[in-house]
Amino acid sequence: MASLPRRIIKETQRLMQEPVPGISAVPDDSNARYFHVIVTGPEDSPFEGGLFKLELFLPEDYPMSAPKVRFITKIYHPNIDRLGRICLDILKDKWSPALQIRTVLLSIQALLSAPNPDDPLANDVAELWKVNESEAIRNAKEWTRRYAMDN
Amino acid sequence: MEESMTTSQGGESDMECSDNEFYDYYNSNDDIDIEQIDPRNIDPEYFEYNCLLEEQVDRLLNETVETLSNNLQIPPSLAKVLLHSNQWNINEVTKKFNDNSTQTLIAARIEPDAPPSSLLLTRLSSYVYCSVCATLQHFENFHNLSCAHMFCNECWTMHFEVQINQGISTGIACMARDCIVLAPEDFVLKHLQRPNMREKYQQFSFQDYVKSHPFLRFCPGPNCSIVVHSKDIKAKRATCNQCKTIFCFKCGCDYHAPTDCHVIKKWLTKCADDSETANYISAHTKDCPKCHICIEKNGGCNHMQCYNCKHDFCWMCLGDWKSHGSEYYECSRYRENPNIAHESVHAQAREALKKYLHYYERWENHSKSLKLEEQTLEKLRSRINQNVMSGLGTWIDWQYLFTAANLLAKCRYTLQYTYPYAYYMEGGSRKELFEYQQAQLEAEIENLSWKIERAETTNRGDLENQMDIAEKRRTTLLKDFLDE
Ligand SMILES: [Zn+2]
Ligand SMILES: [Zn+2]
Ligand SMILES: [Zn+2]
Ligand SMILES: [Zn+2]
Ligand SMILES: [Zn+2]
Ligand SMILES: [Zn+2]
Repeated sequence: MASLPRRIIKETQRLMQEPVPGISAVPDDSNARYFHVIVTGPEDSPFEGGLFKLELFLPEDYPMSAPKVRFITKIYHPNIDRLGRICLDILKDKWSPALQIRTVLLSIQALLSAPNPDDPLANDVAELWKVNESEAIRNAKEWTRRYAMDN
Repeated sequence: MEESMTTSQGGESDMECSDNEFYDYYNSNDDIDIEQIDPRNIDPEYFEYNCLLEEQVDRLLNETVETLSNNLQIPPSLAKVLLHSNQWNINEVTKKFNDNSTQTLIAARIEPDAPPSSLLLTRLSSYVYCSVCATLQHFENFHNLSCAHMFCNECWTMHFEVQINQGISTGIACMARDCIVLAPEDFVLKHLQRPNMREKYQQFSFQDYVKSHPFLRFCPGPNCSIVVHSKDIKAKRATCNQCKTIFCFKCGCDYHAPTDCHVIKKWLTKCADDSETANYISAHTKDCPKCHICIEKNGGCNHMQCYNCKHDFCWMCLGDWKSHGSEYYECSRYRENPNIAHESVHAQAREALKKYLHYYERWENHSKSLKLEEQTLEKLRSRINQNVMSGLGTWIDWQYLFTAANLLAKCRYTLQYTYPYAYYMEGGSRKELFEYQQAQLEAEIENLSWKIERAETTNRGDLENQMDIAEKRRTTLLKDFLDE
């Protein structure tokens, strides 16, 4: 295996020394490009009280290419689909090599606080979020209780 | 026949002097500039264009770049970005630049919309920190665009390589977060050493430049690198001089006169969507309307003669062929139910389908006839070969038959594309005129096809006469209905 770029080493050190509040990101024991991530559901959001597992992988040409991130815990959210894929501009065409793992995780946390049903990935969820927001929020709370608590 | 391969000699090009030198590259014969009748009045499909090789296109683009670079006193690579983001309209860019150079450079993403704040030059001695690779390096290893975002050369190279591998070239931006300043060609090339990356980059940007240039079109032919150039951005027929592909200059799709680009797209989408419904009609066999024996269509001609009872009938409508030759020929026309607005929704839907199928069936049928007539031509070719070999005439004697077959294909092609036109046409006297001319054209085309299939027994004068009539009908229709 090729040696780990200095940039990844630096970012990992900083993530461990000054972790982002509400987020833990720990590199895998056998693969330093693979991170086990846990995001705490933000306060005053339907995801409050939940712990959401994600996987984050830094591709070969990181940071020229964006990290690959996916929710492992099931979540009811208009910008996250059944496979856990996330619709977030900085993970796609708005990626810049100057962005970091830290900024990506913060953006994901912000997405949980402010779902955007106008740029949907999960169409049925986004639809309900638009026509009946209170029912959608009830569903999101129910999923959080069922899949993101006590395990 | 190949009327369209003319180079520009008219008064038009004299007014736009910027490209005049360019025309000289491929103007083989320098005719004297005589006052002539506008050829557009004689031939509705007249179109001035040129087929260019990649080097010629490069030269054309570079000349524009150099002119702008000299006019505005800016580096050629920036002139190129300016032109690319302004549809290569040199007059407009010059005007914009003279009005407000800063705004023009910002709009073209050559400069950042806010001046670079407190230059990121807080360096410790002569060392700078690259935030992308997280290393401290000598500042000589750093480069930046007009936005002053500094990154080390190695990171720029990696950034460019990753972008190019994704097919991005003229659109590569700075690496800083939310910075949209574009990396011009010379900046990118300065950081690319690997020959295959440089080549890829140049190939992709060439494609971007051609696509953004209103006077240039890639030939849509498979594996063809010809670029067609014309200052006349119209839905006219362009024929590639290398691979012979014929296409509409405006939209780049199959040529479609008299239908316009927008309508043909709508029609083709509809046909694709309704392909299930339309499938059942693509039958190769029908029963003779008189003796009911099963007849297979193996030629392109729609004037059928039953091999059993010798009845002449029309393949499309199964009507008697005799009525098709007359002024009252109505096979191509769809007669709408005048009271349809008062019928039930169900009846209206059925009527809409019936109407679509009428046009679709004829569109599809002529397309098939074109293919069948190609086969007929192949058979003809081998028969003529035999004739010549056994001393019946020479090659030259039979040449007129190939001319006739080519003309037939051209006419039938236009006829095929009259059906989508008619389908979307509003009722009224103009539609009546269109359908009348369409019917006349169709009748003459079938006569021509009939005569070509029986070429060896048809006399040459008769055939040439028929060719002339068919082509006249075609140009008449186009003159009246091909929109400028
Ligand atoms: Zn920048
Ligand atoms: Zn660097
Ligand atoms: Zn071609
Ligand atoms: Zn077109
Ligand atoms: Zn019969
Ligand atoms: Zn008919």
